[in-house]
Amino acid sequence: MATQPDSPTQSASIKTVAIATGVAAIIAGIIAVVVVLPAEYGIDPLGTGAALGITGLADANDSALENSDEAYRRQSIEFVLEPFQSIEYKYHLKQGERMSYAWKATGEIEYDMHAEPHDMESEADVPTYDKGTTASAQGNYQAEFTGIHGWFWENQTFEEVILTIEAAGFFTATTLFRDGGAFEQEVPPRLE
Amino acid sequence: MFQQVKNIGLLIAVFLSAGVSAHSIDGADANFIQDIDGPAIAAFVYLGAKHMVTGYDHLLYLAGVVFFLYRPAQVFQYVTLFALGHSITLLTGVLAGLQVNAFLIDALIGLSIVYKGFENIGGFDRLPARPNPKIAVFLFGLIHGLGLATKLQVFDLSPNGLVVNILSFNVGVELGQICALSLILIALSLWRTHPSYLRHTLLSNTALMCGGFLLCVYQLAGYFSLS
Repeated sequence: MATQPDSPTQSASIKTVAIATGVAAIIAGIIAVVVVLPAEYGIDPLGTGAALGITGLADANDSALENSDEAYRRQSIEFVLEPFQSIEYKYHLKQGERMSYAWKATGEIEYDMHAEPHDMESEADVPTYDKGTTASAQGNYQAEFTGIHGWFWENQTFEEVILTIEAAGFFTATTLFRDGGAFEQEVPPRLE
Repeated sequence: MFQQVKNIGLLIAVFLSAGVSAHSIDGADANFIQDIDGPAIAAFVYLGAKHMVTGYDHLLYLAGVVFFLYRPAQVFQYVTLFALGHSITLLTGVLAGLQVNAFLIDALIGLSIVYKGFENIGGFDRLPARPNPKIAVFLFGLIHGLGLATKLQVFDLSPNGLVVNILSFNVGVELGQICALSLILIALSLWRTHPSYLRHTLLSNTALMCGGFLLCVYQLAGYFSLS
């Protein structure tokens, strides 16, 4: 087999080489068209991706557009935080659903943005995404799991602080934790 | 015969399962990289090694390169040429801010695998001038390095500690390559004790070419549908 000591190869005939290369290209082409392109890019010329249920597998989370089965909701709510008073306000989101939010306080307050799954077993199930002390924040949020998602705020000053929270997206309800109680409230859909 | 086909199938499965998604740096690693500000030697060494070990495109190419190399000295020569090639383009690519389309460079990397499989079955033997395989491995090293540089530059790398971090990433790539190559060589030398190895040279290198073509088509489709 070793044709040259320096760089051994197995010398096949021209015909064999041509057939091997052609077969490799054809098989690669078939795998690409039947499975890879439908799954990775949603390109499905033969309908095999749809038949196998793999169309758009890879970019399910990366697509620019993401439809939601949940109803669209929007809410604006205001709380008064007396000195050293704290509240917690959470949105009920299913896994993968998103919301946009903005909150603003009349003074700097301490906050902790976190989420709890419904079937929470320990504190280890509570990821904190952001915390600190500020007077406002805004952003987009996507739920990693089904549960309640939101903020703990505490007014650590001697002044009264008014906190306004706005959220829009695909949550279904909210829960307010205040003065040792939990108050759950349905949020009505906007366009239903 | 059935056993041998099974062996080949297993080998291919191992290569394919090495990487799960398109071969870029993503998810938590991506966030991690962008949060780094200042020299982070260990982090970049680890990321470089991980990128190499989980990179089926680099692994398939390396498997092709060492397919017929029996002597450790030969393995060392070829792998050093490959490492030299990709180090040059990784370092200069990132530091000079050289940007190439990631899909196109990955398509070329796919073709490098096809090239090696083609060379292994003696595709160039009947040509009047046979391309020097050592020069080829060096040139393809340059391309693989450009691929690595492009992946890294997708991120907003902090200029603070950039040189140290890129050098660390490169060291990690080499370490990862040594790990991956050891596994490939162990697998190949086990297989080489079987007579099936030489009998199925054509089949295994055709499978290699097929993998290369597939990666190439996959990346080109990405280029045309997403760019």
